[in-house]
Amino acid sequence: MINPKDTVQEALLKAKAKRVYLEGNLVKILSKQFPAEVKEYIEECKTKDKQARKKRLDVTKQVQSQNKELAQAAEDNEKLMAELQVALKEAENLRDEAVEDLDMMQKRTQFELIGLIVRVALIIIVGVGLTTTVLYTIAMMANKDTTILGNAWSNLFGILLTNSFSIIGTIMGVKYATEKK
Amino acid sequence: MIDSILLVDDEDLFHLVFEDACSLLDMTLSLEALNSSDEADKLFRKWFVEGPIDERPECVFVDLNIIGSSFDGIELIRKINTDYGNGVVIGIISSSDDNQEIEKAKAVGAQFWIIKSDEIEPRLEEFLKDYDGYVNKSAAFKVYK
Repeated sequence: MINPKDTVQEALLKAKAKRVYLEGNLVKILSKQFPAEVKEYIEECKTKDKQARKKRLDVTKQVQSQNKELAQAAEDNEKLMAELQVALKEAENLRDEAVEDLDMMQKRTQFELIGLIVRVALIIIVGVGLTTTVLYTIAMMANKDTTILGNAWSNLFGILLTNSFSIIGTIMGVKYATEKK
Repeated sequence: MIDSILLVDDEDLFHLVFEDACSLLDMTLSLEALNSSDEADKLFRKWFVEGPIDERPECVFVDLNIIGSSFDGIELIRKINTDYGNGVVIGIISSSDDNQEIEKAKAVGAQFWIIKSDEIEPRLEEFLKDYDGYVNKSAAFKVYK
């Protein structure tokens, strides 16, 4: 073991015997005046230190490069995630719009059907009303029995009057719904 | 060989790269690395106000963008050159090669700009050749690409 009473030269020779090598800048400041045996050891230390440094430098550079790649990948990933979020939001909006359109189209079809039914019903009622009125008028002019025709005529007009408001309301509603998008 | 070097850079891995590169090139015997410009500012203020001035490094390498610091490398160079009495060889070591930033650094008294890359050793070697010119202020500002 190296002890405090050893000279630098003795210490270096002990280190050499134990195959312990000095590292770092300390090796660079050792004098060149040492005997050949010590100088040889110092040179060996320098070579080994240089090799270790070179190896460490290569590994550090590799780690640094991998870190950069990882950072770049993380950045790309983050960008991609942001783009995906935007795309998802757009898709959701489109889906909502499509659902809304479909709903509106279904409602419109339903209202159009209701409108058609109401119109046909109105035409039938008005047609029957007109026919009954004409028949009633002809019967009155020809002095025929008008009891059945009179009852039918007054019933029809009663129905028309009582339902006119709901029929008109339905027609207006259908018109409003079909005009809207 | 440069007596002492101070590196100011937020990236710990680059400290190791720089230290090993300097050692392989026999660039210096003493290298200190700091992570922030605030730490460097504190040290330079201390050396300027309290001394001893000979504790200051002979050459300072400053990163341009030092994450986690109150100010960037250019501001640190300005402070060292104008507020703390100059007296060191100082420049930027950065991965950026933005001309505007290079001009700004030049304006505050940076003497060189070394572009960081995987192969830093040839640039440091070239810098070392020009070093005496920086010490006696005869060398013009140079970008090591």
